[in-house]
Amino acid sequence: MMPMTDCDAVMRQFWDYLDGELNEATMAAIDAHVQMCSHCNPHIQFERAFKAALRSAREPVAELTPLRDRVRAALAAAGYEAP
Amino acid sequence: MNPTDSHPPDFEAECLRWLPDLARYARSLARDDDLADDLVQDTVLIAFKSWHQFIRGSESRGWLFTICRNRFYRVHGREARQVAADTPELETLAATALFAAASPQGLGDVFEQEEVVGAVGDAMAALPETYREVALLIDMHDHTYESAARILEIPVGTVRSRLFRARRLLQEQLLTHARDLGFGVARPSAESREGRP
Ligand SMILES: [Zn+2]
Repeated sequence: MMPMTDCDAVMRQFWDYLDGELNEATMAAIDAHVQMCSHCNPHIQFERAFKAALRSAREPVAELTPLRDRVRAALAAAGYEAP
Repeated sequence: MNPTDSHPPDFEAECLRWLPDLARYARSLARDDDLADDLVQDTVLIAFKSWHQFIRGSESRGWLFTICRNRFYRVHGREARQVAADTPELETLAATALFAAASPQGLGDVFEQEEVVGAVGDAMAALPETYREVALLIDMHDHTYESAARILEIPVGTVRSRLFRARRLLQEQLLTHARDLGFGVARPSAESREGRP
């Protein structure tokens, strides 16, 4: 049996839900509710867009070759030997 | 490969595999490219020296992040502060209230607007460190609550409280920014919320 989910339950757990941190049954129950609920659906879209916006602001990492070379040289100096 | 060896066969390969992630994390901690590169190098050297302490089969990325963060706080003399955390449930409900207020103001799609997305970096930088570092790990570096808890050496419950608080603070700031830019105001809440599809 899928646990019953209402708007209140979604409201209380939506971050855990969006982060995929709930158990499978609860994830599925909330999925099902959100798909058909005109109240929760726009709310979840809003929060999803917010999370995507945060993700898109990740620090860009420029050219890593100099850093990689530098780390390799430091390791060699510290006595690292490749197997 | 020698499975009986307590040291994984190639330390360097294991470290370099996570170099892009580590470099990005160091940059977000240090907020200065040169300092960040120093931090990465220090992290790798410390990891190399304590490689024997690394438990095989545990997650090396999380381990490197932990070293990186500890090193950063030690070098910069900053104490990772403990703050009283509000309950995650209250923070979640507060975020729901933000949406309930924004939606009838025509701000329901505000996080899809380029100008608002462009302000995320500044909003993140303005967060108090305690909240910023949790959001950084989970929202920008895709760590789970569990993994963030290990790196920050705090309970998972505290990760949730701080993360949810961080997100609420970010949303408040971004919504204010959006209103300043004129989003939402052109579409006053003429229609009732019940009338929306
Ligand atoms: Zn609902």
